Amino acid sequence: MNRVILLLAISVLSGSLLAQESPRTKKAPHVRIIQGPKIELARQNLTIIRWTTNNPGGDPVHYGIVHYGTSPGKLLETAQSPIRLDPDHASAVFRVRLDNLKTRTTYYYRVDSIEASGERDGLTSGLSHFSTP
Amino acid sequence: MKCRTLVAVALGSVCGFALWASIYSPQVSAQTNESPKPVYNPYPKGILPPDLNSEIARVLREVDLVESRAITRWHNLKPPILTGQPPVLKNTGTEATETLGELMMFDKHISPDKNQACASCHMPYAGFSGPIPSVNLTMIAYPGTVHFRAGKRTAQRHTYSPFFPVLQYNQEDNLFFGGNFWDSRSTGYLLRSPDAQQAQGPPVDTQEMGFPDTACVAFRLAHAVYRPLFEEIWGKGSLDINFPSETEQICATPGGAAVFKGNTTPVPLSPSDRTLANTAYDHWGQSIASYQQSVQVSAFSSKFDAFLVGKYTMTADELAGFKLFNGKGNCNSCHVDGRGTNLTQGQIDTSNTAQVNPLFTCFGSANEGVPLNPRDAFYYQDKPDPYGFTPNPYGFGYVDLGLGGFLRSGFGSAPNPNASWRKLAPTVDGQMQVATARNAALAPTQCSTTEAPGPYFQKEFFHNGYMKSLKQLVHFYNTRDKYAYPVLSGHCPAGTTEKVDCWPVPEVPNNVDMTTGNLGLTDEEENQIVKFLETLSDGFTRPYRNRDTFTGACMKGGSAATQGNEFLIPTPPLPPCASAICGVAPVPNPPIRPPLSE
Ligand code: HEC
Ligand code: HEC
Repeated sequence: MNRVILLLAISVLSGSLLAQESPRTKKAPHVRIIQGPKIELARQNLTIIRWTTNNPGGDPVHYGIVHYGTSPGKLLETAQSPIRLDPDHASAVFRVRLDNLKTRTTYYYRVDSIEASGERDGLTSGLSHFSTP
Repeated sequence: MKCRTLVAVALGSVCGFALWASIYSPQVSAQTNESPKPVYNPYPKGILPPDLNSEIARVLREVDLVESRAITRWHNLKPPILTGQPPVLKNTGTEATETLGELMMFDKHISPDKNQACASCHMPYAGFSGPIPSVNLTMIAYPGTVHFRAGKRTAQRHTYSPFFPVLQYNQEDNLFFGGNFWDSRSTGYLLRSPDAQQAQGPPVDTQEMGFPDTACVAFRLAHAVYRPLFEEIWGKGSLDINFPSETEQICATPGGAAVFKGNTTPVPLSPSDRTLANTAYDHWGQSIASYQQSVQVSAFSSKFDAFLVGKYTMTADELAGFKLFNGKGNCNSCHVDGRGTNLTQGQIDTSNTAQVNPLFTCFGSANEGVPLNPRDAFYYQDKPDPYGFTPNPYGFGYVDLGLGGFLRSGFGSAPNPNASWRKLAPTVDGQMQVATARNAALAPTQCSTTEAPGPYFQKEFFHNGYMKSLKQLVHFYNTRDKYAYPVLSGHCPAGTTEKVDCWPVPEVPNNVDMTTGNLGLTDEEENQIVKFLETLSDGFTRPYRNRDTFTGACMKGGSAATQGNEFLIPTPPLPPCASAICGVAPVPNPPIRPPLSE
């Protein structure tokens, strides 16, 4: 049988796609905190810690990480939340959700950030603390 | 429960005012106008909208109208000339294929009862999303060929869906992109077009068009009026299949029926006929994809497209919204428009990342932390229907894990063709595809907005239809975390208003994206973003085909911020996530649905 080959737009376009997946930008040589970290929200069930850095570049998805615990020397718990970088923005806002904290408790924490690959951005952050309501 | 009566402007042939029946009035009656079919109604009172039968009938009339227009176009089309080596359908090959796809999408015979077409859930005037305002307002999922089995998610707009690449895991960026469907389960791994593969889903989806066997599509195509066009494009003999006499009866019985005992190929065909039927099914998908990618559907004819080439000047509000979309709103991180953020009025964008036809998606996925919508019809289908099929045995124990559910080949999704992806499931639980922002605002000619006070066309937004207006959607991005309460929908504390200053907890708390959630936008800035979203609707530079076919009622009154709030119902106490969903390795981490204490 004579096979009809059609030049369908679908095959053309899915082959040479208008590359539109999240644009990747160059990794910044140094990533540092410009603002924060501070407590954006502290409710019974949800605490949000927020800080701003220069745009770290690299993977479009980054994770903000909070290492925390009830004693300053033992930050054994970790929480992390994803964000998506905007390549056109000079800075990036990291925000991390901490669920299920104990009420009326003081927590100590340090923040960090990684690329989706797991590679660290190389932040240095001091020890901070907050108390839940 | 508040039970407001909305005044709706009845348009189409009739003019004047009609009453929008309250949702809590009588239950949908069981009869249909044809042979009495057993009706499946596991729903508590008030879940199905009372006008469901008449609305399904209205849409079918509209579907038939579009089909008849397409038939006329086909008859007026100059036949393409098959020539060259390899042979090509010269001159009108493209238009013929697109027209074939359109004829298929609006063909109600592609369902056991001959009562449902693709377009029953995807009409042009809704940007090819759900055409029934009362369904969008209440049960959110669309009923299928069997009345009233229903799906679980909103009928996604499919404009621009053919532009999504084959689902892949980008090793450099460490993320998934591409595929079709909210959970990307239509990967396109074989046909190399997620959209063509997608079109192979609904005809055999038990809650949609519901054939028991993919060969039933070839069977009905063999009897279609447009069979000559199919054969012209895909070859003489492509539908010459020896269907045994019982095929009619098999194909009139919906999939999932107990009589099939789980057999997915009940039509007995010889191996060579089976191959023909499978090939015809591929061509079904490819023809539809070509229609969906055509300028009739994915039109690039919005104000924004005109603006890009200097043929439209945005209003001050639209331009402000555009800047917020790229700037403070952060929308551009996912709904990529490839543009800089520093435009002034009347200026043409020259940023080096600019693309000619931005699609306003990154093809990726994210968990936006959308609350569970207890009106979703899926939760109530935990009993067998008259055919012995139970759409959702887990009831409210069902949790929609999105992309994570698919990677596990999970319940309610599809088999994952790439085992190496499975281990990544916990990192994408709760993620849904970043829908293109284009045509979110598209509405029928008579009620050309989605926003109250209108006259407006009631749409539904996000995968579970929790949002009823774009204002709400933007307000959610802006304040989800600011007004986060440890409650489920329908249980906001006294003194707060759900969706205004109270947002219930995310259905899936894992991997909630934090790019947005507390943007610090003012009320006016939110409205400007809505205005900008409205510039993304097709039909500005030339009319959008068949946008004029809506014959239902527009709605009027109220405010966009609380649009549809009178239909909120309290979420019942939730059982733990079913082990068939959350117990499938690699399990969600942390575990999902340790039930909330209410
Ligand atoms: C009963 C209603 C219903 C019918 C009939 C139906 N769809 Fe859909 N459609 C949906 C729903 C619901 C979704 C989202 C499903 C999901 O993500 O799980 C969807 C999603 C889609 C998408 C994905 C869009 C994207 O961007 O990923 C496309 C394309 C589509 N439908 C096309 C079709 C075609 C073609 C047909 C007929 C072959 C069809 N639909 C029939 C309800 C329906
Ligand atoms: C982190 C990625 C991300 C960001 C940032 C983002 N979105 Fe979305 N958007 C999504 C995803 C994912 C969906 C689908 C969500 C779902 O259904 O659960 C979506 C859906 C939408 C839709 C379509 C809804 C529908 O039902 O078709 C619109 C419109 C939209 N977003 C507008 C916006 C606006 C406006 C902003 C900025 C205020 C924004 N988005 C920011 C990821 C994002």
